[in-house]
Amino acid sequence: MTLTFVDHLMRWFHLLFALVWIGHNYANFVKTPRFKPFNAETSEQARTADLTARMQLEHGTFRYASIVVWCSGMGMLWYRGWLVDSFTLNGPHAVIGMGAWIGTLMLLNLWLIMWPHQKKVLGFVPAPLEERERCSRITFLASRTNTILSIPLLFFMAAGGHGLQLFM
Amino acid sequence: MKLPHDSVAGTLLAGIALTLVLYMVVRALI
Repeated sequence: MTLTFVDHLMRWFHLLFALVWIGHNYANFVKTPRFKPFNAETSEQARTADLTARMQLEHGTFRYASIVVWCSGMGMLWYRGWLVDSFTLNGPHAVIGMGAWIGTLMLLNLWLIMWPHQKKVLGFVPAPLEERERCSRITFLASRTNTILSIPLLFFMAAGGHGLQLFM
Repeated sequence: MKLPHDSVAGTLLAGIALTLVLYMVVRALI
């Protein structure tokens, strides 16, 4: 095991666990932008309405965040003149290119598979109970697929800048 | 049907296995 490999492993773990940690913090920040003291007198109906509003805000934020992530990634590749070489996996650009491909798949998965089903599960769009049950499995699998894809994505993101030696 | 997605260990193992496979693909391309 070379030091380059260990260094890359640390970089990968650094990114991955930073996302787990701060991702949870941001999720809380989006769902609870202001402190709201618990009030036992709040009606069940008001609580449900509040929860739905928070979920809409949360889901909207992370969906549009995905577009910012993808566009800024494309912007960086374009600025460096690597866009075509990355997506055609040409030479050393194949490292970040693989990351770009995985990220693109994740974005498409989120917007085209997960979201159309998720909005029925969460009740943002009315749907019969059976349809909501069917959609819940699809949403779960699409979401977990993105979790799986994020592991190699972060590996290639971490390798893009300094881990090229690992591939030689 | 049970998939790797259905457990935490399965999800993580699938992610690591995919990383290894793609790493070898990229290594072969460079």
